Amino acid sequence: MRFSFTEEQRQMRDALRSSLTESCPSGRVRAAWKTPDAALRIELAEQGILAINLPEDAGGLGLGAQDWVLLAEELGLVAAPVNLIETLATNPTLAAIGALDLASQVGTGAEFVALEEPGGFALDADKAAGILAVRDGRVGWLRDATLIAETSVDGTRRPFKVDGRFEAVDADATDLLDRAALVAAAELVGLSRRMLDLAVEYSKSRRQFGKPIGSFQAVQHHLVDALQRIAFAAPAVYRAAWSVDTNHPNRSVHVSMAKVYASEAALFTGRKALQVHGAIGYTFEYDLHMWMKRAWTLSSAWGDVRHHTDRVGQFVMSGGQDA
Amino acid sequence: MDMSFSAEEELFREEVRTWLGEHLVGDFARLRGRGGLGDMDAFVEERIAWEQELGRGGWTGLAWSKESGGRGASLVEQVIFLEEYARSRAPGRAGHIGEGLLGPTVAAFGTDAQKARFLAPILAGTEIWCQGYSEPNAGSDLAALQTRAVRDGDNWVIDGQKVWTSLAMVSQWCFVLARTGAGSSRHEGISCLLVRMDQPGVRVVPIRQMTGNAEFAEVFFDGATTPVDHVVGPVDGGWKVAMHTLAHERGASTLGQQADFTNELRALVQVAKDNGAANDPGIRDRLAELWMRLKVMRLTALRTLSAHDRGELPREAMITKLFWATWHRDLGELAMDVLGPDAAVLREGHDHDLHRLFLWTRSDTIYAGTNEIQKNLIAQRALGMPR
Ligand SMILES: Cc1cc2nc3c(=O)[nH]c(=O)nc-3n(C[C@H](O)[C@H](O)[C@H](O)COP(=O)(O)OP(=O)(O)OC[C@H]3O[C@@H](n4cnc5c(N)ncnc54)[C@H](O)[C@@H]3O)c2cc1C
Repeated sequence: MRFSFTEEQRQMRDALRSSLTESCPSGRVRAAWKTPDAALRIELAEQGILAINLPEDAGGLGLGAQDWVLLAEELGLVAAPVNLIETLATNPTLAAIGALDLASQVGTGAEFVALEEPGGFALDADKAAGILAVRDGRVGWLRDATLIAETSVDGTRRPFKVDGRFEAVDADATDLLDRAALVAAAELVGLSRRMLDLAVEYSKSRRQFGKPIGSFQAVQHHLVDALQRIAFAAPAVYRAAWSVDTNHPNRSVHVSMAKVYASEAALFTGRKALQVHGAIGYTFEYDLHMWMKRAWTLSSAWGDVRHHTDRVGQFVMSGGQDA
Repeated sequence: MDMSFSAEEELFREEVRTWLGEHLVGDFARLRGRGGLGDMDAFVEERIAWEQELGRGGWTGLAWSKESGGRGASLVEQVIFLEEYARSRAPGRAGHIGEGLLGPTVAAFGTDAQKARFLAPILAGTEIWCQGYSEPNAGSDLAALQTRAVRDGDNWVIDGQKVWTSLAMVSQWCFVLARTGAGSSRHEGISCLLVRMDQPGVRVVPIRQMTGNAEFAEVFFDGATTPVDHVVGPVDGGWKVAMHTLAHERGASTLGQQADFTNELRALVQVAKDNGAANDPGIRDRLAELWMRLKVMRLTALRTLSAHDRGELPREAMITKLFWATWHRDLGELAMDVLGPDAAVLREGHDHDLHRLFLWTRSDTIYAGTNEIQKNLIAQRALGMPR
């Protein structure tokens, strides 16, 4: 029993953190609300992140969820305007169906494969080399797709309603969607951490009644409640990564737990952070809303709290055993 | 990362399981499932005998170092032991305050003579301890305590009152926080005294709880004495010692509860299936939600064990008490909702266990630091918010 990341895994996380601190300040997120940030994908590709879970014969690193989960968290921390979920989720699927050429193009950032989220949206489908979807429990391509552009509440995201001729492939749909939900969960943990940090910092500097608002107990308890959610969501996400990598029989239950916990942590932390900020947090000019909006979209995507709680509920009521 | 147990760890599990299976027989068999929280006054004599049986088997002081006479078990081994202990429904430990709180404190702060005198009887289960901290005017604000100890020749003479002292009526010893310093106030001038309970100056008055039984008591000190060398840590410097003990109470020693919680939740799921409550989607969701919360609690505990990531963990460790107390309170409430209309009547069997669970869990958010106090501490220590 060893529930911790390896030295290399933590080094990769630290390296990404320092590069994102430089390259992805909140101004870049804000800019992506106006113009999509194509460069960020390339920058991540150069660091090997888009190919991290591709096999070596597709130019990848052949690594797994335990290796990318902390990286996804880092991208969440800075609310990076990039679609990592689709890529990390579909990479192993592309490899499984032998689409190695396409996979290696995805790994270099030259191509993008879209994935229809179970709610019916596919991000950046107009720029995709292909659109994968799950229909009736099967994975397949949507060929000759028609796209209807929609407007996301998160201005960095470009969702499309998609439809097309479904061409099934031989790949595991549950694995694919579980991976997507897990990336989303990891990003949500990162988003939560940053929202909490923003609120704590603000509470130390903003003064009312002659003292910092962070000294008021009601304010402290708001943020402790948020910390509590985050602190307990993170291990659920890390554990799910291990379960996905090892094909654990309960991996879907573990992913559901991770997604529920991470979603609730992010929604809750967003609400508390806003409250602690007062009116400034409600403005478009202040950064908080960009994190909150990403949290709203990611928590409703890839199976919302209702969906995943239900999956766990079925397991528990069927007497399922889980150590 | 490896979330499975190694072959060696599984071997240890097998050893624990076998031992418990072979020893929880005869007179001990009927102790299964008894004496836990809310039921600590049940079968006390028998449970002390069981404590001694555990001691003979080398299963007390698992976490203690070998120098202290313990097993020096790894944290993972401790988890395994606690899981198996709960799985076998072995009785609530009569000696948990000595083993979990006083023993580690003596090991950390005591003199060699104190270690030699007090540690072995805890391990053997021959001396039971209680914790004399809270007073009528010192609850959350422990530094407001007023019990006094005055030096008289070779003895301390103690006057004052403690309250909510769990297991005081069956304990041979109490560790008492008292003011010893001249002009002592707040955190200054407090000492931690080890005091014999069976003496004329000590009077114990059990307090009946909401549960109907009495697990805690008032303890009156009226000229009670203890030898001068029965002070743990520096005279007048007992606050630090008390805080060390509280850290144990709020931290690692709570790990074992999760295994009991698992039993309780599993039993509740069964009741919900049997009485049809499980068909209600609202109840199902809450069962699933509690199940998940229990799992993340375990994951957080396991993660705290992995030395590697230590740098990130103190935050999580600090939150543990708040988290499990709230979980347990919610479990109690769900248990009553699962019973539905039957929640209003007391019956033997399952219902009885659930009522005891419900009533006991009304106290989890109060003892060992109330939820509000926990949040104050977390805000200041984990989040660094201003005082
Ligand atoms: C079952 C049980 C067993 C116990 N066993 C023992 C034992 O063996 N030994 C022992 O010494 N003690 C024991 N206790 C006592 C326990 O430690 C105290 O009950 C606890 O510290 C709270 O103190 P209090 O009850 O006086 O409540 P108070 O401190 O009076 O608190 C009342 C309310 O005010 C709130 N409050 C107080 N201060 C603050 C603040 N600064 N900020 C916000 N809110 C605040 C509290 O959170 C609580 O809601 C036990 C208690 C129980 C219920």
